[in-house]
Amino acid sequence: MKKIFAAVLLALLMLTAACGDDSADGRLKVMLGSNVVSLDSAQATDSSSFEVIADCIDGLMQLDADGKAIPAIAERFDVSADGKTYTFHLRDAKWSNGDDVTADDFVFAWRRHAQEGEEYSYMLGSTVACIKNADAVIKGGDPSTLGVSAPDPKTLVVELDVPVSFFPALMAFPTFYPINQKFYNGLDAGTYGTSPETYLANGAFVLKSYMPGAANIQLEKNPSYWDADRVKLDGFSYQVVSSSDNALTAFKNKSLNVVEIRGNQVVSVQNDAELSKNLKIIPAGSLNYLSFNQDPKNHHAGALTNTNLRLAISNAIDRESLVDNFIMNGSKATFTAIPLQFAPHAQTGAYFAADQQRYFDVIGLGVIRAQEYLAAAKSELGRDQFDLNLIYANDSGDTIVKVAQAIKSHVEENLPGVTLTLQPMPKAEYLTHVTSNSFDVALTSWTPDYDDPMTFLNLWTTDGCKISEHWSNAAYDKIVADCTTGALAADYDARWTALYDAEKILLENAVIAPLYTNMNAVLISDNVSGIEFHAAGVDRVYKSAVVK
Amino acid sequence: MGKYVAKRVLMSALTLFLIVFVLFVLIRIMPGDPFPVERMTAEMIAQKRLELGLDKPILVQFFDYMSMLMSGSFGNGTSLYNGAPIKPILLACLENSFKIGVLAIAFGTTVGLTIGIIAALNRGTVIDGFCTLLSILGVCIPSYVFMIFLQYFFAYQIPFFPYFFDPSRFLFSSIMPSMSLSLLTISTVARFTRNELIEVMNSDYVKLAESKGLCGFELIRRHVLRNALIPVVTVIAPLVVDLLTGAMVMEKIYGVNGVGKLMVDAIAGEGIDYNYVLALSIVFSSLYIGIMLVLDILYGIIDPRIRLAAKEA
Repeated sequence: MKKIFAAVLLALLMLTAACGDDSADGRLKVMLGSNVVSLDSAQATDSSSFEVIADCIDGLMQLDADGKAIPAIAERFDVSADGKTYTFHLRDAKWSNGDDVTADDFVFAWRRHAQEGEEYSYMLGSTVACIKNADAVIKGGDPSTLGVSAPDPKTLVVELDVPVSFFPALMAFPTFYPINQKFYNGLDAGTYGTSPETYLANGAFVLKSYMPGAANIQLEKNPSYWDADRVKLDGFSYQVVSSSDNALTAFKNKSLNVVEIRGNQVVSVQNDAELSKNLKIIPAGSLNYLSFNQDPKNHHAGALTNTNLRLAISNAIDRESLVDNFIMNGSKATFTAIPLQFAPHAQTGAYFAADQQRYFDVIGLGVIRAQEYLAAAKSELGRDQFDLNLIYANDSGDTIVKVAQAIKSHVEENLPGVTLTLQPMPKAEYLTHVTSNSFDVALTSWTPDYDDPMTFLNLWTTDGCKISEHWSNAAYDKIVADCTTGALAADYDARWTALYDAEKILLENAVIAPLYTNMNAVLISDNVSGIEFHAAGVDRVYKSAVVK
Repeated sequence: MGKYVAKRVLMSALTLFLIVFVLFVLIRIMPGDPFPVERMTAEMIAQKRLELGLDKPILVQFFDYMSMLMSGSFGNGTSLYNGAPIKPILLACLENSFKIGVLAIAFGTTVGLTIGIIAALNRGTVIDGFCTLLSILGVCIPSYVFMIFLQYFFAYQIPFFPYFFDPSRFLFSSIMPSMSLSLLTISTVARFTRNELIEVMNSDYVKLAESKGLCGFELIRRHVLRNALIPVVTVIAPLVVDLLTGAMVMEKIYGVNGVGKLMVDAIAGEGIDYNYVLALSIVFSSLYIGIMLVLDILYGIIDPRIRLAAKEA
């Protein structure tokens, strides 16, 4: 009996010794809203993964605090006169196992990426980076024909089909990061990036603790990083927290230094004199919008093929009310197909969607004009009643549920004869619906992959792959093609103007009803500074972060 | 006895096979795709389906899967985590859930037994009423409420325990998760222990022992507890499996990398990962069936009537 008592006492003493203030070690602890899907740059598809990959690996370029592309592993680069050949000159950088970072590491990674044909391989192809032969390799062609080569270990030559004005900025995106070929080939199939032992870094941090699906990820400073002097943190950790309530409590408790909050919590923080000092509203870059299924064979008799009906729905929604009363995280009502505070002009720096009144002849017209559009639709279609369903993925929190309910009430109150039946579903099921044509209206969003309007406008071409709107417009397709691989690709200003023309066609036809530009409401502790936030590509960068 | 055991083992294997078959078919026909389809063209998806053999008839896919299982592999993920091999990830998650589960069982049975014994020894008194109330509360309060309560009070109001589970301080940060899991075990064990103890204490052999002068702790330990605990063990066996196989809500709230969270990730991601869902279901089912098999065999050994009944049937 005495022995048992002594053992219990010893255990209690050990526990007491192990305890302490959770935040006392002064390390940065950051909330991740969702799991890291993969640390393999060819497989990653989500912002959490891209962020952690960018913590560990540097590409040719990186984004500075203002979102401009500056050199990273490439010390400098030359562009040929026709704008189609980029020659990157690499600096002396090391992988965390001591190997040199060479041009071959990029060649290997890009070829592998194109060859494996994963979700983001389209970034190499003719709709984005336009790397020579990328489309053919993605479709199963010989990877050695891809337009990337390494004449010597410190020189990388990339050949493009057409000039791409934002190519240097693309090089900051994780899809274009290098992989150490020798290290990769020494691993068992499928194990790359599944543990600290199977992942090499050439960036600011190395993995200390990680496994796929990890709720807690720890990183520490990479002593062999080429720009190690810039990195002030000894390391930091991520905690995956899906609940915004939980995140807020953990922030108050100092268990987390950086968290994202939503909805009512934003209001309660704004009303709190102390906490409101820590609140920052940061552009998330994504656009939330309604997508209409225009297939005439659609199970609701193709009513949405009628442009007036789509315009009626788009104009019946009070976007200001959505953001002020339901989303409440600083998100902004949007009347353009490109979100706010995104894609600045290279010379003027003005954001593409700065003029929100540009399309006020077709959008944002209010209830009376919406009802006029509806009356026109009724007479054209010879019907008085339109029963439509509105589908959305409900596993990303309750904000989208509130938004869907608000849209339903706006549409049904303002447009007599139109009913919207809400159909919430898990994301996997939702994606099956929108790609298999079994929906009328979808409440959806798109997050930009790179800092150019084309990351959005590409979605609605005849071959656009996100949602089957069944809308096809030759003039629209031509503008997009001209701006990516055609005559306008090399002329920056003419291309810029043409992109507005494409956006006009899109909104005049009410292919989509843009709703709001998403903002992130972020709480950052007083003692933390220097985190860089970006609307496109890698969301957060910690290279210059400091914890006092 | 050998025949009885063989029959039980065979039945268990058949049950497991049927479960795998039904799950396999259900997962294949349910809505949702294993691929995150937002940026993939139909052509790319068709290529992926071909690579994974998803274009073959379901029965052929099933036999391919079974032959893979027989070779001791769960295969690779279809969409989750990079398509990495499932086994090491599953084992790592099982280890986390298992450790917290063992702590929860140890804590739950110890506290449950203590409450049950105290209640039985003080039958009909205020103490008994209090203990009964505690055990009823344990059943009535949903475990996630208790989890949030613990987290709020002992990590937020009184910041003693870490708010989230921290693998680098495993034991210390496991206390709250395992305590919150043990609530149901505590109340179940307490109720059964109390009832069984009272029944045994009223039995003739205990009265005989008392009449021979045995009393107090020695009587309870040597004569009462030993007999009262057998039915209690039967009741907690399925609870043990529940605790070992993780708890989805607990793992989400405290951020534990366990099998419960793994299951949620496999189902609720952008694409449903067929192979993870199957692998986890097989592990869960095997544990349940395994523990039931052990109990069946133990019953057969303890009580020959069960053996005979099975023989007659």
